[in-house]
Amino acid sequence: MNAPGSRFEFGPDLAGRTSRLMFYVLLAIILMSLDFRERWVDQARASAGLVTEPLMLLIEWPYQTGARLGEGLRAHRQLLAEARALRLDLARVSADLLVLEELQRENAELRELVDAGQRVDIGSVAAEIRRVDLNPFSHRVLINRGRRDGLVSGQPVVDTRGLVGQLDEVFLHSARVILLTDPDHALPVRIERTGLRTIAYGSGLNAQLRLTDLPMNVDLEPGDIVLTSGLGGVFPAGLPVARVGSVERPVGEAFARAELRPLGRPDRSRYLLVLDRVSGPEDAQELTEELQEALREELLEEQPSTDEDPADSAPTEPDELDEEFDEPAAAAPAPDPSGQQS
Amino acid sequence: MSARDSDQVLLLVSLAAALLLTLMPMPEALQAARPHWLVLVIIYWNLEGGRMRLLGPCFLLGLMLDLLSGTLLGQHALALVILCYLLERFRARIRFFPPWQQAAVVLALLVNDRIIHLWVVGLAGEGWPHWSWWLSPLISVALWPWLFLLLDALRRRQRVRKSP
Repeated sequence: MNAPGSRFEFGPDLAGRTSRLMFYVLLAIILMSLDFRERWVDQARASAGLVTEPLMLLIEWPYQTGARLGEGLRAHRQLLAEARALRLDLARVSADLLVLEELQRENAELRELVDAGQRVDIGSVAAEIRRVDLNPFSHRVLINRGRRDGLVSGQPVVDTRGLVGQLDEVFLHSARVILLTDPDHALPVRIERTGLRTIAYGSGLNAQLRLTDLPMNVDLEPGDIVLTSGLGGVFPAGLPVARVGSVERPVGEAFARAELRPLGRPDRSRYLLVLDRVSGPEDAQELTEELQEALREELLEEQPSTDEDPADSAPTEPDELDEEFDEPAAAAPAPDPSGQQS
Repeated sequence: MSARDSDQVLLLVSLAAALLLTLMPMPEALQAARPHWLVLVIIYWNLEGGRMRLLGPCFLLGLMLDLLSGTLLGQHALALVILCYLLERFRARIRFFPPWQQAAVVLALLVNDRIIHLWVVGLAGEGWPHWSWWLSPLISVALWPWLFLLLDALRRRQRVRKSP
């Protein structure tokens, strides 16, 4: 290593520098691929959070004081008006709640009648988005609740309109929310109108999700509402996610595509709600096993003469013209369980 | 030697300020085009202060920025190491350029930095960035002379205070 004090020489020897550059570049590439492929750099990231978190709090501080000063200076009259408006709001909302309570009771009775399990009440923590900008590619926001408030990685996050994302990294006083629009994010969803189950992927664009593996003959129209399906065991079923924007059936492709516009917009409102996880991963495992069981039974019933490719028996309307296109699409839900069984 | 010691404090303060400024909230429309403060500060210290000439510190700073901004670990580190290498390679020439030519070099370095980021982002499959992302080098270069003058003035003042 050349000393930093060697000011007067015209650059240290080139070969040494180049080899050192290669070393660091290699190191960076290894780190990046580890971070991208495996996730065991997470541990390092979590401990680095101890250093980076105070910095983030420091950045937010002037904004917080500014906001507090602004509140202090607000006129008395204005506050009174706001209180009145809020009281009106409260009255309206509690009236709505009464109706909801009635509905809930009715729902519970009906569920008892059909012998279904009780709906669990889901706890939640209110949080505010921190005024810290992360890089424009990451589709992540920072909220002001963390491990101290009992948050853990993986909890779903909603705003008043719909699902926003899920907790990614949890620090002591803050947590990072990975938004639905992040290209790394996939969400099991259900179309409200038809009950079709599929997976919504983040697009990397603001306010856009994608459905990429739909069968060509899918019954899907712009304006349909997309809900969480509850499969996977992370998100509770039935949360509103998005509205279908457009459906494409490109010629020569195997699958139809759809664009969704998410209902939850973290860029509009600064207040979010962090929901409890519905069930642990064990429950998800159980659910998957149950589904596999059900699927196998269904297959056996439909084809007692077995010994054939299970993909053939997947229930679809046979469409002579593009059967070859249909088949992979219809079989798409199946290969997961059958792959694990064999 | 005392000049170097007084520089040390200013160096650390300016680097910390650059890191904080990188995370400062900005209006939604300008978010992608935020100036790359850290690169500007590193270029200044390399050219004028004769500091930050080794690859190691640049790498560590890059890692720090990755952790803070939540990018892929190593993305900024890679870009900064390459920047540092290029700076050191052509340092003798760049230092004696007239100011406008120096600014042009800074612009070239910043664009190069963006291209490296684009490469990494492309490999990670994160999609093409918004066009305003390319405004960032231009905005950074517009800020470069002022940052240069500010840091120069601060250094001179500190030196005058320390010298008697």
